[in-house]
Amino acid sequence: MKRIGKPVFFIVFVIILALAYTSVFGIYGENGDFKVTYIKGINDIRWGIDINGGVEAVFAPDGKDATDDEMESVKAILELRLVAQNVTDYEIYPDYTNDRITVRFPWKSDEENYDPDTAISELSATAKLTFRGGSTESGEVIIEGKDVKRAYSNYQSSSNGTYQHVVVLELNDEGATKFADGTRTYLNQQIGIWMDDDLISAPTVNQVISNGTATISGSFDAAGAAKLANTINAGALPFGLKIESYSTISPSLGNSALTAMGYAAITALILIFLFMLCMYRLPGFIAFIALLGQMAISIMAISGYFPVFPSFTMTIPGIAGMILSIGMGVDANIITAERIKDELWSGKTLDGCIRNGTKGSFSAIFDGNITVIIVAVILILVFGPANIFSQIFGVSTTGLIYAFGYTLLVGVIANFIMGVGASRLMLKSISGYKFLRNKRLYGGKKSS
Amino acid sequence: MRQTFHIDFIKKSKIFFGVSLGIMLVCLILNIFAFPTLVDIQFTGGTIIKYSYSGNLKNADLEKTVNDTIASRDAIKNDKVSFAYSDNLAKSDKDNNSKIVSLQFTGNKAVSVEDKTAITDALEKAYPDSTFREASSSSADASKGTNFFFKCLAAIILAAVLMIVYVALRFRKIGGLSAGIMAVVALIHDLIIVYFVFVIFRMPLNDNFIAVVLMILGYSLNDTIVIYDRIREIRRKSGPKTPVGEIVNSSLNQCLVRTICTSITTILAIGSVLVVSLMFNIDSIVSFALPMMLGLISGSYSSLCIAAPLWVIWKNHSAKKKAEKKNSENAKTAAKKSKKANKTEA
Repeated sequence: MKRIGKPVFFIVFVIILALAYTSVFGIYGENGDFKVTYIKGINDIRWGIDINGGVEAVFAPDGKDATDDEMESVKAILELRLVAQNVTDYEIYPDYTNDRITVRFPWKSDEENYDPDTAISELSATAKLTFRGGSTESGEVIIEGKDVKRAYSNYQSSSNGTYQHVVVLELNDEGATKFADGTRTYLNQQIGIWMDDDLISAPTVNQVISNGTATISGSFDAAGAAKLANTINAGALPFGLKIESYSTISPSLGNSALTAMGYAAITALILIFLFMLCMYRLPGFIAFIALLGQMAISIMAISGYFPVFPSFTMTIPGIAGMILSIGMGVDANIITAERIKDELWSGKTLDGCIRNGTKGSFSAIFDGNITVIIVAVILILVFGPANIFSQIFGVSTTGLIYAFGYTLLVGVIANFIMGVGASRLMLKSISGYKFLRNKRLYGGKKSS
Repeated sequence: MRQTFHIDFIKKSKIFFGVSLGIMLVCLILNIFAFPTLVDIQFTGGTIIKYSYSGNLKNADLEKTVNDTIASRDAIKNDKVSFAYSDNLAKSDKDNNSKIVSLQFTGNKAVSVEDKTAITDALEKAYPDSTFREASSSSADASKGTNFFFKCLAAIILAAVLMIVYVALRFRKIGGLSAGIMAVVALIHDLIIVYFVFVIFRMPLNDNFIAVVLMILGYSLNDTIVIYDRIREIRRKSGPKTPVGEIVNSSLNQCLVRTICTSITTILAIGSVLVVSLMFNIDSIVSFALPMMLGLISGSYSSLCIAAPLWVIWKNHSAKKKAEKKNSENAKTAAKKSKKANKTEA
């Protein structure tokens, strides 16, 4: 057998400890008064609304089949209102198949008496679009949402020949008449475009527009022009929004769940450590080190430890999935250790037993884990925000199970790296020490 | 030999089947006569609102306030509300709310935000000292719920089919398809057990149910595969002439310690989650951890005592059929021969 050097054990051990420490505590530095995050730890994990508290609401057009463009407008108006409510870390999932939009945002815990009901109601209020003279809210209302036929973004040449992004505004007959009067009054002045109480644009009138088609130009980029067009369309939507369903969770309720999961994880680790040590002795001890490594990888996968992987929104089922993968993770070690025991009792040398034991157990471990991977991938694909069944059932609105699938998948992959790879390296390396060559340490019978 | 025990799983298989069927039968009777299946509002549609509050309010007073408010609202005046009380174990520093009341609306529609606010306002007004706070609320639309239900069903079927295909391919040598089908019979066994856990413990079927079912599918199949892997190995060593029952029996005995140990570590993990969430009174996790734990036990049991013995019965049956076919063919040709012989004699 190709010997694996004695120091390998310590190298792997130290690497695992380092990974475990940094994945939990992160690495931070200070740059003057700023805290600089080099490596993200547990405190940087983005917790889902079931832990941090939050609001999820599903909006649907009231009594109308909306087109995809109209849904885009609905999305634009919801985003605008979320920002107006000072909510920046929202998630928004439009479902074009079923004409629904799911919005999810955290409960503002710094507010003493945060009222999620009002927040939801405000989001669903009918959009009120007005064009007012001047750039203040008190300006005279020239046209309203119902006067607008549609708005769209365009890329066209301007008077001086250069191409630019613009928003084209088409008005209906009534709107055209009003707008002609308005542009005459406010020629060479500004006209404010207001959505509810927010000024979204204030272009200057360059000429009287009497044909009902206006072009709003400015320093738009493609996205900016599309956004303004969407927002104007939202104000012209011929339907209101109804709240189809909602759920709210207060932060205190979720926070205690997080504490509980923390206790559960630590208890599980300790119990499994004791069990493995009693049952399998040295291989059991190594299994536990590998388990720490597996946990570290799982945490890294959700905290955004490596900048290439974005951080993941962690929910309570996700944490449960992680703890479950602790229990299942040692399975690879158990299968291997049992094999080694079998071999030892048939009276072979220690090295031969370890070699045969690790070799003979691989196919069972591999096949067994594939089934868990199948389950995890299906959970991710079916319950993810955009999923394989989107065409049939629409995009998902229940994202909690998604996190469970994700942590389960990460757990299995981490298990291949740690429970299979690192454990075997450590076992083969540590068995090179003379005082650790007693077969009893591996579950064999008393050596004679 | 290291092993000091040898359990004849195949001989005892009738007992195992009897135990499983017996448990299912008892649960089914309970399900029909005592514990009707509860379905979460995620699937049926409906509304649940939870408030935390402090002080000693009489439940009857609180219920009257809520019912009066509901009667005054047009959209929900015909709805009935069921009340449930519990201790609030998730106290925040800001208030001293030690109790939680949970309002569940009958009728499968989502109560509007305005109506919900009216109830909250009424409670706050009637009991200003009790600092009523909305702890959580959820509502779901019935059509969306049905849609979600079918999606979950599709996920389970997809998972089951993929797993059969995988087993069939990986275990071609020992008759993969029959092995896969028997594994799925064991999976259905586990699925039924998980369902009855939800029923007996009065937990409504929700998305946790789907997650547990899928998880148990994977876990139980994992156990079954480890055993099949051992069967494949022993068969390779002992040759195809050895009786199937013997091979399977020694495989099961060799895998027994591993199956039990892995179950123990997994149960230690999920059991920690269960105990802690019971202590903290987190319903959503209890309804996940409890069926998961019992499902794990069922999963290990079904791999050892259902899937493998069933497969032996199947194998023996098809071997017998083959033999009978051969015999009858032999008999036919013999009969023909004798007929011919008779003719010539005549």
